Amino acid sequence: MAAPQTLAEQALAELIVAAVNLQDVDPRAIDPEAPLFNEGLGLDSIDALELALEISKRYGVQLRADDAENHRVFASLRALSAFIESRRET
Amino acid sequence: MSGPDAIACVDGVAFWSPRLPGWDTASPVLAGAVEAPAGAVRRPAPALLPPTERRRAPDAVALAIEVAARACESAAMPPAELASVFATTHGDLAITDYMCANLLDAPLHTSPTRFHNSVHNAAAGYWCIAVGCHAPYTTVSVAGYSFGAGLLEALTQVATSAKPVLFVAYDTEASGPLASLVSSSGLVGAALVLAPRRGGATVADLHWSVSREKPPRATGSSQRNANLVSGNAMASCLPLFEALALRRGGVTLPAGPSLALRLEIR
Amino acid sequence: MRTLPLAVSAVTVTSALGAGIAAQVEALRERRGGLRCNDFTASPLDTWIGRVAGLEDVSVPEAGARLDSRNNRLAWLALRQDGFLDAVAEARARYGRERVALLVGTSTASIGATEEAYRALAATGTVPASLKDPVLHVAHSLGCFVQDVLGLEGVCTTVATACSSSAKVFAQAERVIRAGLADAAVVGGVDSLCGSVLFGFNSLELVAREPCRPFDVARSGISVGEAGGFALLERDGSGPWLLGSGESSDAHHMSSPHPEGLGARLALRDALATAGLEAADVGYINLHGTASARNDEVEASVVAGMFPASTQAGSTKGWTGHTLGAAGFLEASICLAALECDRAPGMLNTTALDAACGPQIRVDAAPMSRPFVLSNSFGFGGSNCVLAFGAERRP
Repeated sequence: MAAPQTLAEQALAELIVAAVNLQDVDPRAIDPEAPLFNEGLGLDSIDALELALEISKRYGVQLRADDAENHRVFASLRALSAFIESRRET
Repeated sequence: MSGPDAIACVDGVAFWSPRLPGWDTASPVLAGAVEAPAGAVRRPAPALLPPTERRRAPDAVALAIEVAARACESAAMPPAELASVFATTHGDLAITDYMCANLLDAPLHTSPTRFHNSVHNAAAGYWCIAVGCHAPYTTVSVAGYSFGAGLLEALTQVATSAKPVLFVAYDTEASGPLASLVSSSGLVGAALVLAPRRGGATVADLHWSVSREKPPRATGSSQRNANLVSGNAMASCLPLFEALALRRGGVTLPAGPSLALRLEIR
Repeated sequence: MRTLPLAVSAVTVTSALGAGIAAQVEALRERRGGLRCNDFTASPLDTWIGRVAGLEDVSVPEAGARLDSRNNRLAWLALRQDGFLDAVAEARARYGRERVALLVGTSTASIGATEEAYRALAATGTVPASLKDPVLHVAHSLGCFVQDVLGLEGVCTTVATACSSSAKVFAQAERVIRAGLADAAVVGGVDSLCGSVLFGFNSLELVAREPCRPFDVARSGISVGEAGGFALLERDGSGPWLLGSGESSDAHHMSSPHPEGLGARLALRDALATAGLEAADVGYINLHGTASARNDEVEASVVAGMFPASTQAGSTKGWTGHTLGAAGFLEASICLAALECDRAPGMLNTTALDAACGPQIRVDAAPMSRPFVLSNSFGFGGSNCVLAFGAERRP
């Protein structure tokens, strides 16, 4: 069973599903600790750019493709949500 | 341009429009045997696209891939081996609208996915990825002559390579301010697998030649048929597909302002 | 399978280096680049571009007036150089208007005019008459414009396969002539700067904030440029010669090359085979070398594996930028100039070569070991084309 999502993770899950048009995926069913890229949701580098764009627009947090920390930041819904929360202006 | 007609064999035929979603549906309608079904399908859902490409694919790509796949199926030809010619007047019009509108609003927030999809050869590129085809493709765009000129390029490739070639033609609907600059409505996709010699799947021979003349507008044989694709930039494919539905006929397609592609279906 | 060798009886090209072939040759020899800080886009974008000076002041002829756009002004500026219009007029008279094919490649065509129409609509609610012709807003705005101003009436298409567009037209011309549909062909490519493309590449994080440095270990992306050029191909004539071509598809990803360069290898192999050449016969390869991380890594590795050290290879995009739909043509014409001067141009802005580079990839210009050249164009959408040229008709 997937771990439950926090409210922030739920909102982010909805953003991800909309941003990369995951037509058959229910945002609430995304396991927050499962990989986002390659396995898990199966996202690729173009999806990463699209997500970075939407995250920047929604949360004001910038992500760049060449950031060495990306594989950690993007590792899972939980990791991405935590990163955004830590960086966004309140 | 004179001399004997060249011949190519039609091994696979495919067609898609919202009222005629597939050649099995379109063929008897275009032949005048039955009425078109009343309903309309919004857009095709080609099974061939891998999940990542399927969710990313704009209408033009979905349309082109659907007819390309069906043509290869009906020709019993492995898609991975076929060189291809894609022809489209406009590419994906919704994407062009997005790119131009976005430039005014938020250029630094351009969607990478949509930019990715804005290249004219998006459909051809997605096709080759979907079927693992390393044979070359080309995408041609010749304004109102795109169908005839594109078909001519495909026929030329069959003649010079002596190998089968996949021909795919498609156009989508103009939206946004772009609709006031160009006109195209609905979706029309059409595809043929053309072969240098007869085979088990051959449905007709195309005897073709090019002539220097001001070609007539290519319209359907009846208002009823024309209405089924009307307003779409690729509607000029209709006369050939009517002849293919009847398995006979002569068709003159515009390939340029003073150039016609003459086809005899036998 | 050998293809028909075609004489390149006339050629012209215009880029950020200047108008006409001589301007390209001088800039290459003097190691003087054409890139400048972006002064083109309406809103700021930190990047370098290859901009053709003076396009705003070019007037197109009456025959092409309904399709006036930056792209077509660049086409017209290019056509007017190097006596090219006279060469076409002669061919038209010799063969007949309907026997000279016209095949051009572009990725932008006149989308700049569509962008302008959107701006006008947003500002005033109307579109000026000069932007209303529907042909202005399709890819064939280029082919149609050139057909109108050259008065040609034969086979005519616009090819739009991103960065391979104006290389593929050479291969297409050979087929059209061999099939007997034409006796000669005008081939060309024109792409112009436009906001949607610049910001589009920016969204993919592919644009460098400095002048691009192909194959450099510290490369950081592309510099977008504009260019236009045309050539006349005939069955007979004095050289140089289009000897062969290879085309293929990567079938991997829309914007990343096949990791083992499979499509590139196929296209290179076929270009050599159709030209009757061995790898060791090649004196110079003009590489695609966009200065993107992925392309250069893969391309360097392919070249290192297929060619001996005597084959010099390099990208000239440090001089001109990546001219997208015009790159195939621009770089083919640089190859032709290299044959003419017997000099491989080297590379600009590159200081430390990436470890993936073999001995072929060099920064300094040098005489060529053999009089045969290849030009690589590997496009968005996985479309690849390699052209083979030689000083003589037969190797």
